[in-house]
Amino acid sequence: MDHHDRKQCIRLFEKLSEYIDDELDRSLCEKIETHLKGCPPCQACLSTLKQTVAMCRELKAEQVPADFSDRLRKMLLQQARQL
Amino acid sequence: MTRKNSNPKKTDRDTALIKSIQGGRTDLFDELVQRYERILYNFSMKMCGKREDAEDVVQDTFLNVFKYLKGFRRETKFKNWLYRIATSACIKKRRKSKYAPEREISLDAFIPPEQAQVEQETPLWATLPLNQVLNEELGRTIEEAILELPEKYRLVLVLRDIEGFSTEESSQILRLTPANVKVRLHRARLFLREQLKSYFQDP
Repeated sequence: MDHHDRKQCIRLFEKLSEYIDDELDRSLCEKIETHLKGCPPCQACLSTLKQTVAMCRELKAEQVPADFSDRLRKMLLQQARQL
Repeated sequence: MTRKNSNPKKTDRDTALIKSIQGGRTDLFDELVQRYERILYNFSMKMCGKREDAEDVVQDTFLNVFKYLKGFRRETKFKNWLYRIATSACIKKRRKSKYAPEREISLDAFIPPEQAQVEQETPLWATLPLNQVLNEELGRTIEEAILELPEKYRLVLVLRDIEGFSTEESSQILRLTPANVKVRLHRARLFLREQLKSYFQDP
């Protein structure tokens, strides 16, 4: 028998983001963790997805153009007068 | 028995300032702009990718906040309400532009293939500490990949994974169910992961 239970993998795959975000109940987490122990492809899947999320969270903030604050205030003042 | 209010007023770091502005101190509006202009610009750039578009979104957002603040009833945090307005401004902007057509992302496209072709081991890039792997070039690659996402997925990803809103807050901002937010987020992340895999595989 193939050690790799594909149906189980797919079910797990659909829940990986919720697992990363700690949004699943304890029993489902335990099921996932048990499955992961015996399934290197799912481990790889989880690690790559986790790292993707971590990278998004660490993206640098955009540099606001130097003159934008002034332009924004001028425009808001002008528009506010017309309201 | 006391009756529970189903829509209690939310109090947060902006409450006092908002109350003052609503009470007639419109001169304090500038403080609100100061508080949020940078983060709104960042959000808009991640959503639109172009400086001019991002500036328009920030301007439109503050204008609408100024117009409608009197009617804000604090049924949600001010920040969530602000992002709801910013989100609408982004959507409006996209409708005016020609690029980024809307399409669905199917989960099936990301389901790992049968065993023989499946990645057996975790690739190196997923095991390294972030400071060793996330450089400027990769940051730009991720930002470009985010811009390739259809807008409904991009919105969820930017709110959840860049702006740090919870599932519940994102569902309020986007007027979606939490389940829907989760589905879109998962697909958006899988899409990005594919782009990262290609980035690290390509010589």
